Amino acid sequence: MSNYYNMPKLPTENSPKVEIFVDDKPVMVPGDTNLLEALKAVGIETPHVCYHPYLPVSGNCRQCLVEQEGPRGRMLVIACYTPVAPGMKIYTPASSARVKNARKATQEFMLVNHPLDCPICDKAGECTLQENYMEAGQNESRMRPEYGKNYHGNPAHQFIDAKGQLRGGKHVDLGPRVLLDEERCVQCDRCVRFMRSIAGSEQLQLAGRADHTYITTFPGEKLDHEYDLCVTDVCPVGAMTAKYFRFQKRVWLLSHTPTISMDDSLGANIWLDHADGRIYRVMPRCNPEVNRSWLSNTSRLAFQQFDKNRLPAMGFRVIQEVISETKSVGGKVALVAGGACTIEDLAALRMLKDSLGDSAELFGGTFKKVGAPDGIAMSGDPMANRMGFKLMGVPDDNLADLVKRAGEFKVLVTVNADLFGEDAAAASALEKIPSRIALSAFNDATAAKATLAFGIRHWSEIQGSMVNSLNILQKLNACPVCPDEKLRPAYEVLSELAGAKFGCASEAFRQAGAYAPALSGLTYDSIKSTGNLLEGGNA
Amino acid sequence: MRVIRQKPMTLGERLYIFEALRGLWTTLKHAARGLFRYETLPTISYPEGKPEVRNTYRAKHRLMLRPDGTPRCVACGMCAAACPAHCIFIEATASDDPRIEKRVMRFDIDHLTCVFCGLCVEACPVDALRMDTKEMVFEHRNRDDFVAHLYDLTNWDPKDYPDDEQSQVAPGGTKNAEALRVWGMEVK
Repeated sequence: MSNYYNMPKLPTENSPKVEIFVDDKPVMVPGDTNLLEALKAVGIETPHVCYHPYLPVSGNCRQCLVEQEGPRGRMLVIACYTPVAPGMKIYTPASSARVKNARKATQEFMLVNHPLDCPICDKAGECTLQENYMEAGQNESRMRPEYGKNYHGNPAHQFIDAKGQLRGGKHVDLGPRVLLDEERCVQCDRCVRFMRSIAGSEQLQLAGRADHTYITTFPGEKLDHEYDLCVTDVCPVGAMTAKYFRFQKRVWLLSHTPTISMDDSLGANIWLDHADGRIYRVMPRCNPEVNRSWLSNTSRLAFQQFDKNRLPAMGFRVIQEVISETKSVGGKVALVAGGACTIEDLAALRMLKDSLGDSAELFGGTFKKVGAPDGIAMSGDPMANRMGFKLMGVPDDNLADLVKRAGEFKVLVTVNADLFGEDAAAASALEKIPSRIALSAFNDATAAKATLAFGIRHWSEIQGSMVNSLNILQKLNACPVCPDEKLRPAYEVLSELAGAKFGCASEAFRQAGAYAPALSGLTYDSIKSTGNLLEGGNA
Repeated sequence: MRVIRQKPMTLGERLYIFEALRGLWTTLKHAARGLFRYETLPTISYPEGKPEVRNTYRAKHRLMLRPDGTPRCVACGMCAAACPAHCIFIEATASDDPRIEKRVMRFDIDHLTCVFCGLCVEACPVDALRMDTKEMVFEHRNRDDFVAHLYDLTNWDPKDYPDDEQSQVAPGGTKNAEALRVWGMEVK
């Protein structure tokens, strides 16, 4: 079926431009890619189902047909599997009725046994089949209503419905997170290709032939990979649905906030899809350099805890008093930054350190284990902004030092750092420090052990920036789901403690430029949605 | 421009008293008719007499029922999407019936916001929502009561819709037993 070695070559900024003729008009397109991407680069969208830019080309849906002038006349070819050649002559539906009819027929075949589930389908609104229908289909139905739908897939799941139609496979449990609707499946085999060549664990297979094809796992096995929810993204129809999002919200009611996942140092680009003041789902945001179209289950499902167990923002005056008392009486202050601190938080933290003088010392790091990159969308490092720490001159791995010298300090300020939660045994030495101030979004173990716990905004609710493990400066955007408007971002709280309050993230970013020369030439608003590669990066 | 000349009033009209008495006579005539021959009046004496409402009148909503008594609504949200007044609130959940995927968990229509345009009825893909209850009077003690919930919308009697086949399929209807037999078909 799919040839797994055949990844599509995507056009880049450096692609050579070649001249091809589209509908007899000369256009300049990227020369080192396939026809589908080349046409897309000049603004001609080709409907497709099985083609995905980050999956091997399979070419089984035949939806992207175009006509090409060849030695034997004009032939229909699939755009996704035809490489661009200089001088080739291509005809799209704009000029060729044959292409139009061929696409329409393909579309009609695909819909023959596709159930009319759109009203109850979670994919409705972002379904490739719906989009293609509007672009290439729109046929009058030639079905004979007395026969209706006739599903031939998995014989074990067939049933006859109240109208006497042969139906089947409505909710097949594939694994702990994914549900399959065999009837909706169009056998594009994107999920099979994803599991085979991206996830590297062939847990899904196409069984049967022709009209009887259906998606299945091996007998007795389940789909339980760390990236298994990606198959619900790549599925062009509503066949693969995520259990956590099933029937939660119609997709057109969701608003999307582009931001960065701050639980891993690769900084996967994500969309936070929210409505009614809460996040409903997290979707990967395509970034060719970082996570492509993939997102791990850990990052994707983390949102379920974002609004739980939150700390209220109370007692700011007391923190100010403690800080000013330390300033007047003397005594050392340990400022600990956790991995989810943004560049802006670090700038504010350094300002706080400067205002405290020599008595303050910066610490940073995590007790969690640092793993290895998995090559898909995780670097394995829980310290999300580690490169940012290095850039800002904040230590990123000296917690052991802090634990050893805990007796020296009088005040411990932790920002987004759950020291006690990560390693209670190592952190128990820190309880010797008389006043422990925890700035944290959650009422975690550190907040419980702290003498003063102060609620701040979670990374999903703030503007900010981070530098990922590939040295790409990426921008976080605030999703309007903060449970309490009184909660403030960490950089605002810290800068107020330092005596010069930042009004917004761009002010804090400007201050960060003063500490990190690599950032001094940039402004917050100039950070691109896919990030800016900083000097010395190896992306 | 057109000039309309008023006819000058006659002396009797200018005296006012005769015209006033004439008007009073009309009033008295109608009052007497209302007292003794009210059935000939062209108006309806409202709380006692009710106007005849046709079933095409866009009245209060109701949700159609399946033979087993569950609402036919599949919680697709098309009515809420079509609603210009944003007065429909729907929450969905998975159904226990293996043949049905999605069922409605919450279906609220705020009749204080509703403009009774009927677009929700047009939008419904499964003909679950109708506005043929002929209920056109809404009187409640507080604002919350104007919100019709799932219970209110499904709590109707098939006997009130004798001509409608679809309504007779619901529990209590004349066609319920037959429909239930088809509905309860053996499924794998």
